[in-house]
Amino acid sequence: MSFEYHEPPSVSEAVALAARFGSEARFLAGGTDLIVQINRGKLAPRHVVSLHRVPGLDTIAVDGHVTLGALVTHRALERSPHFQGRYRGLVEGAQVVGGHQVRNVGTVGGNIVNASPAADVVPVLLALDAAVTCLGPEGERTLPLEEFLVGPGQTQRRPEELLTTVRFPLLGPNSATAFLKAGRRKAMEISVVCVAARMTLDAGLERCREARIALGAVAPTTLRARAAEHVLEGEVPRAELLRRAGALAARACQPISDVRASSQFRRLLVETLVPRVLARCLERIREEGR
Amino acid sequence: MAPELRVVGKPLPRVDAYGKVTGKTVYAADFTLPGMLFGKVLRGTEPHARIVRIDARRALTLPGVRAVISAADVADVRYGGALKDETVFAREKVRYVGQPVAAVAAATSEAAEAALAAIDVVYDPLPAVFDVEGALAPGAPLVHEAWETYSAIPILYREGNICNRARILAGDVERGLAEADRVFEHRFTTRMVHQGYTEPRAAVAAWDSAGQVTVWSNTQLPFEVQNTLAEILQLPPSRIRILVPGIGGGFGGKLRVGVEHFAALLARKTGRPVRVITTSEEELTAAYPRQGTIVELKTGVTRDGRLTGKQGRIFFDTGAFAGSGPGVASVATLILAGPYCIPNLHLEGYAVYTNKTNCGSFRAPSGPQANFAVESQMDIIADALGMDPLDLRLRNIVREGDEGPTGQLLTGVGLEECLRRAADAIGWNDRRPGPSRGKGIACGWWTTTGGSSGVYVKINPDGTVALNTGAAEIGTGALTGAAQVLAEQLSVELSDINLVSADTYSTPFDFGAQGSRTAFSVGNACRAAAADLRRQLFALASRQLGVEPDALELRERHVVAGGKRVSLADLSRLSQQSGGGLIAHGTFIAPPTPYDTKRVEAHVYPAFHSPSFHAHAVDLAVDPETGEVTLHRYVVAQDVGFALNPTYVEGQIEGGVAQGVGQALSEEIVYENGRVVNPNLTDYKMPTTLDLPRIESILVQHPSAVGPYGAKGVGEPPNIEPPAAVANAVAAAIGVRITSLPITAEKIVMALRKETP
Ligand SMILES: Cc1cc2nc3c(=O)[nH]c(=O)nc-3n(C[C@H](O)[C@H](O)[C@H](O)COP(=O)(O)OP(=O)(O)OC[C@H]3O[C@@H](n4cnc5c(N)ncnc54)[C@H](O)[C@@H]3O)c2cc1C
Repeated sequence: MSFEYHEPPSVSEAVALAARFGSEARFLAGGTDLIVQINRGKLAPRHVVSLHRVPGLDTIAVDGHVTLGALVTHRALERSPHFQGRYRGLVEGAQVVGGHQVRNVGTVGGNIVNASPAADVVPVLLALDAAVTCLGPEGERTLPLEEFLVGPGQTQRRPEELLTTVRFPLLGPNSATAFLKAGRRKAMEISVVCVAARMTLDAGLERCREARIALGAVAPTTLRARAAEHVLEGEVPRAELLRRAGALAARACQPISDVRASSQFRRLLVETLVPRVLARCLERIREEGR
Repeated sequence: MAPELRVVGKPLPRVDAYGKVTGKTVYAADFTLPGMLFGKVLRGTEPHARIVRIDARRALTLPGVRAVISAADVADVRYGGALKDETVFAREKVRYVGQPVAAVAAATSEAAEAALAAIDVVYDPLPAVFDVEGALAPGAPLVHEAWETYSAIPILYREGNICNRARILAGDVERGLAEADRVFEHRFTTRMVHQGYTEPRAAVAAWDSAGQVTVWSNTQLPFEVQNTLAEILQLPPSRIRILVPGIGGGFGGKLRVGVEHFAALLARKTGRPVRVITTSEEELTAAYPRQGTIVELKTGVTRDGRLTGKQGRIFFDTGAFAGSGPGVASVATLILAGPYCIPNLHLEGYAVYTNKTNCGSFRAPSGPQANFAVESQMDIIADALGMDPLDLRLRNIVREGDEGPTGQLLTGVGLEECLRRAADAIGWNDRRPGPSRGKGIACGWWTTTGGSSGVYVKINPDGTVALNTGAAEIGTGALTGAAQVLAEQLSVELSDINLVSADTYSTPFDFGAQGSRTAFSVGNACRAAAADLRRQLFALASRQLGVEPDALELRERHVVAGGKRVSLADLSRLSQQSGGGLIAHGTFIAPPTPYDTKRVEAHVYPAFHSPSFHAHAVDLAVDPETGEVTLHRYVVAQDVGFALNPTYVEGQIEGGVAQGVGQALSEEIVYENGRVVNPNLTDYKMPTTLDLPRIESILVQHPSAVGPYGAKGVGEPPNIEPPAAVANAVAAAIGVRITSLPITAEKIVMALRKETP
């Protein structure tokens, strides 16, 4: 393993370096994916462009939107006072990433760009209708996260583009998010299945106005379970309906069998976890309403 | 009246604590020498194949590459334990994916890796056997077609792919099963698991101008490695010096030669020191893991729960070389009998070759696999008879003065106390405290391995004491225990003892850090040395104080007689002026444990020395929809004989349980067609702190007649019962029994849905 190491002091210089080296370069954020992949011989970039000295990418801003800088760490998400209420799902996703050491350095941007179908923060962001902004030599472009994710390890990002921010709309009243993960152990675990949900109820806290369900580790990318969302919207979310949503979500996914789990078991987990994660959203909304 | 104990039995800080918590201890993987090269091993990529060609010419032209060696460069010798079937490099054939084929030394580890990639090996694949059933099938390919020509200890029973079949035959099992009201037949399986030591196997070797080689290695058995290297290098053992710096865990995985031979051979070839360290991938594909097993049990029992006979077979998938297999298969039969009085036994342990990595010894070798089967079946029987599982055990367990399965007389038996206290602590009267929540219990017994120990003990002119032992401290605190024995016996403080250990040149022989024996054996050798020193001290003091030697005693670093006293420091100085200093050689070998030789066949380990007894109880919850298991409480009651240092005994129990819970719930080296599909620590799942509750230890003390202050071996036992205890608790929680390890969430869910994964 050998590469040239760069530490640009600004966003523009980072992008300039990426433009110069193209696909021979990789950005380095926390390094918790990149370095492992280099060590295992899966990647061999000639140039590593560290983002450690690039200022301004590690902020969490809440105005008309929530904007996360790409370098916001999982630890920062976990600890942010903004996310303890309606955005709780984000905290739940972030706080099960690896162990403490990994969360102290691993970033949201890395989680997204690495594009593992098992990424834990990505489904929550999908459920929040997040969009990502990339900056390249030609300027900025923003696209929905769902579109950004193409396949395992693959995104719409061009090699010379830096992911700068992730943005999602503020949640209105009667909304909540939640996240659940299944794995073989309780920490340092790649999700066998993870699910995230967002739900908004009507003013009477009766019917579901809007639902989002995102599934991890059951398809080539993190996946929205649209049929399951539709079955909820406009309806009273009774337990029976949540179970139906679970069944629909299980049908929507295309899990593989590997050393971590069989596809059949992954499907069963989706069927179980989706109603649970939805029920959690409902509990939260009702708690907030009280 | 026995004098009050000052040092032993006390929770004193260990002698190696300071260096370890401050990061100052030098581990083998830290060790460097000037001019050192980096060695790497090229490993076979086929489970079974003829090697058509090895071409290293391209590799040798790469920058920084200093040497490439393969079978052609080393003496054609086979080495091994009970059975000598191993070679340094594959010769003509590779027998598992991961078998060493060649090794390189280069200026950097990157250059060494590049060289590995540049060696061309052409294989001609052969039919392979991937599991025990395949290996035992009629007409199965032989892993070693020339097995009959290998040298082995004569008692082994070998046949084709079977590298030993050990037996216990007691009473008449046909009659025993016929007398039973019910006969239960079950089959259990377990998977290959790794010891999970933090520090990979590491060695640095350097040759001197006199043609002697020094190897710094994290081996548990420096003297065994010395002898193995002597065979491999074709040198007298005295030309080989093994030194053991700190060891980052071993658990049996560092007993046999690991990378020392590669380092020594590459260093000889290049004339430079060479370091070899394994990667995680090498650890999980080519180390000495615990064997996967198949266990079949047929047990007869009367209506009121008396065990009348047991027929059992355990098959160890020992991999491409015997490793510890023949011995482990033997030990297993004693575990299959269980800590129970069963008059009629027919128990067999098979070690079977397959085209997988060479398995070895892992903390209580065979214990967890066989105990999982035995103790799972005890619960099944109890349920079927409508008995409480604790009562069924209490009805059948061995007690003081009973006979072991091979006829040994059992003494110091604390099993009933262990069972009752573990059950009480876990709240056994409420076995199913909530929905999908259950408690399980399991018990067992284990040996304190024999083998001899020697120590030199010297009293320094400042009154401190040097303890020189050939044993290595692998992190258990065992040598602290031995040092406590010495300090007690010499009436000094633990902090007065300076430890010198594990250098085959200068330390006396020790059988090594294995088999729960270190504190026990080295402690006893210390006792012997202290007795000798006391004689020397009293002879000197008697002259000095004008008092008869038998009026003297040792107290607080002094020899004392009434109001007269002289310090050990003064006596040491006196001896240096007059008699060459105070030094003693203490030795110990555990006395043989008599057993009935007619009851065993091809058995390498027919009786348990100073056996320990233990019971584990666990309270857990299962999520019936996701299969997730959450341990709420875990209690161990272990008969340790006497706790030389309660803190480190508890430490052993906690660590052993953590490791055992790993095997119970999550760990497995998964092979598909002879290839490991999870050769990394992402997918080889050792438990984390979040997966474990606080482990509660109850130290039961029924002294051993032989051990120092009554101590028994404590290191291995806590690893034995967790799989069975967890399996029994899972069954109590959800009413479904999982008969294969690990008990994964997926198996639980699928079993609940009456499907198989
Ligand atoms: C032990 C361990 C456990 C883990 N457990 C989990 C887990 O439980 N759940 C989980 O989801 N993940 C887990 N991971 C994976 C990893 O920690 C996360 O995906 C993390 O968010 C990656 O962030 P990073 O900053 O470390 O990324 P890096 O490794 O620095 O980068 C990852 C990839 O993204 C690119 N990149 C990073 N930032 C940018 C940017 N701003 N613009 C463009 N490209 C960029 C890099 O070039 C690289 O290709 C684990 C990793 C380890 C080592």
